[in-house]
Amino acid sequence: SKLFNLARTPVLLNTTKVPERSHALLRPLSSSSVPIQDHAPPSDDKVHLTASCVKRLREIMKQGEYLRIHVEGGGCSGFQYMFSVDQTKSDDDKVFEEGGVGIIVDQDSLEFVKGATVDFSQELIRATFQVLKNPQADHGCSCGSSFSVKL
Amino acid sequence: VSKRKILPTRAALILTPAAVNRIKLLLQDKPEYIGLKVGVRTRGCNGLTYTLDYTKEKEKSDEEVMQDGVRVIIEKKAQLTLLGTEMDFVESKLSSEFVFNNPNIKGTCGCGESFNI
Repeated sequence: SKLFNLARTPVLLNTTKVPERSHALLRPLSSSSVPIQDHAPPSDDKVHLTASCVKRLREIMKQGEYLRIHVEGGGCSGFQYMFSVDQTKSDDDKVFEEGGVGIIVDQDSLEFVKGATVDFSQELIRATFQVLKNPQADHGCSCGSSFSVKL
Repeated sequence: VSKRKILPTRAALILTPAAVNRIKLLLQDKPEYIGLKVGVRTRGCNGLTYTLDYTKEKEKSDEEVMQDGVRVIIEKKAQLTLLGTEMDFVESKLSSEFVFNNPNIKGTCGCGESFNI
């Protein structure tokens, strides 16, 4: 048992030493005031379309018709997405085109949906347009039509 | 002590013509399925939500509704929740969905998908 004890002590010593060493290594890094270069991509202020969304829009939209996405207050999570068909676009509207079809988002609404993806989801119970992967949304309602904004 | 009221028997589920047409269309090229199955699931901000699936068989305790040649099976758990509900199919340019007009519910979510009883 003596041998066993002797064999154990260096191991114990080692393990107690390791955190000390790593701590010492970490300290200058964490306390350094050198700002870490931010290599984030340029702010993504586009609205993306999925393939199924493009396909569906091609089927239902006539020439010159666009899908308008509008964000307004309401719904169980504070904000909700509204979809409509629109033929006219005003000055503060942004148009995102893909594959011959386009969606219109007004400037105010764009603040809430930029970087998000619009999808046409088809299930047995319903088929509808949805906003997915919205980086501005904190958590949404289960149905996906309502969301709350990240602060 | 008031006399207990006996409610007249209602059809468990009523289908609108639009729903009948849609279900016929869904099932016409799928002979392996006998109909659609309606259920409820705990989900959403208001507690419950409807589910809809193709079904190949009717389980023992499921309720079967036949209307205009269309078969809809109601899941055992959903029978009380759905009693007297009208199942409609609403189609617009941007969306198409089955809508359940349920007389038993107390409240719904803004989107209409979630409800409580």
